[in-house]
Amino acid sequence: MKDILFIDPGHAFGIENRKSSFILNNFHIIDMYDFETTDLSPFKAIVVHDFVDQIHMYNHRHLIEQFLNDGKIVIWGGHLEFEWLTGCPIFTPKNIQTFSDYNISIVQENPIFEGVNPDEMTFNKGVAGFFARGSHTPVPVGAEILLTLPGDATITYIDRQTTRGTILAHAGRDLFAQRMQNKSTDLISEQLLQWVHDEAKQLKERMNNA
Amino acid sequence: MRKIAVVYSGNAPHKITFNTPKYKKYISELIYLPNLSEADLSSFDVLYVPSQLNEGMLLKNAEKIHQFAEDGGIVCAFGPQPWEWLPNQKWEDRETNFWWWLEKDADSGIRLTNSEHDLFKNYLTLADATWHQHGVFWPPAGCTTLIATTDGGSVLYIDKISTKGTWIITTLDPDYHFGSYFMPATERFLDGFFPWLVEGEI
Repeated sequence: MKDILFIDPGHAFGIENRKSSFILNNFHIIDMYDFETTDLSPFKAIVVHDFVDQIHMYNHRHLIEQFLNDGKIVIWGGHLEFEWLTGCPIFTPKNIQTFSDYNISIVQENPIFEGVNPDEMTFNKGVAGFFARGSHTPVPVGAEILLTLPGDATITYIDRQTTRGTILAHAGRDLFAQRMQNKSTDLISEQLLQWVHDEAKQLKERMNNA
Repeated sequence: MRKIAVVYSGNAPHKITFNTPKYKKYISELIYLPNLSEADLSSFDVLYVPSQLNEGMLLKNAEKIHQFAEDGGIVCAFGPQPWEWLPNQKWEDRETNFWWWLEKDADSGIRLTNSEHDLFKNYLTLADATWHQHGVFWPPAGCTTLIATTDGGSVLYIDKISTKGTWIITTLDPDYHFGSYFMPATERFLDGFFPWLVEGEI
């Protein structure tokens, strides 16, 4: 069994994901409505997809919090509309006046975005706005901010303070979908995967030493 | 005034779209998808089934939705439909034409095929329904297609023959795009579509 749990919304756009060798080789996929009956103990991380039913996640938020407090990782990529993810504020859409309002900045180096050209996150075939259109702001105290939109609007942060585990929250689409576009953003999915394994190792060491 | 119930997925775009006051005022009830199988639909005239619903939950409720139509109700179904649950469904998945507007002599590839229909005579223009398509339907004979691709695939059609009720079926997915803050035309679509659904000639 793979040790990263992928919560699948079961939606039409997700069909390709369910057949992708990258997903099948690296994740254990469950339908989102099986979340509460799944034994979470074998998993080091949970990936929650942007199309997930957030009412369902809210109804079972204690499972997410317990998982984190067991020293594990939750990765959320989407617009938070219900407070199911500890410490993460509700999504705020960016007020867009011009396409440059979509400009993405890497504000802190991190292995997840190493070698990724920010312009290639901002633009897809010359069109801005696909990657992120708002933020989870204000970020939890002590969180590490990785990506922003203009005006210090946080797109992506890592929170190791709110729980005993690690939260990666990204106010955009699923970061593991950043692949096969023949640009530097393709690095994100593989680098994020490696980050999960590295982070899990560090969390385990920290929990063992606690 | 028709009473509209919306099947509510709980995903982020749907939370925004169906709670936006200018659309919410047309909606009598949001029925949370996991509760749909137990819901009493008898007081509603229209059941709005948005795009991107969970496969298992959608298929579990397909018979109930058909029964709503058999009882004379109006069902609107939005977005790509990779699972067979619509009456006489013939869905053809196609590569999404995200980038048509960047090409020389840009053509969205869709046409109005029934401009005298009330929806397009009084509520919407083709531009309001133009962003991209994820595929087409090939409806059964006797249905009315309002928007088609240039090769005759149906992008929006009305089926009054498969059941005793009415099905308004479209590949378009404004419920997703509006609520994810992308594609301005989708807002214009919903601005016109909801009033038509409530008071227009269907």
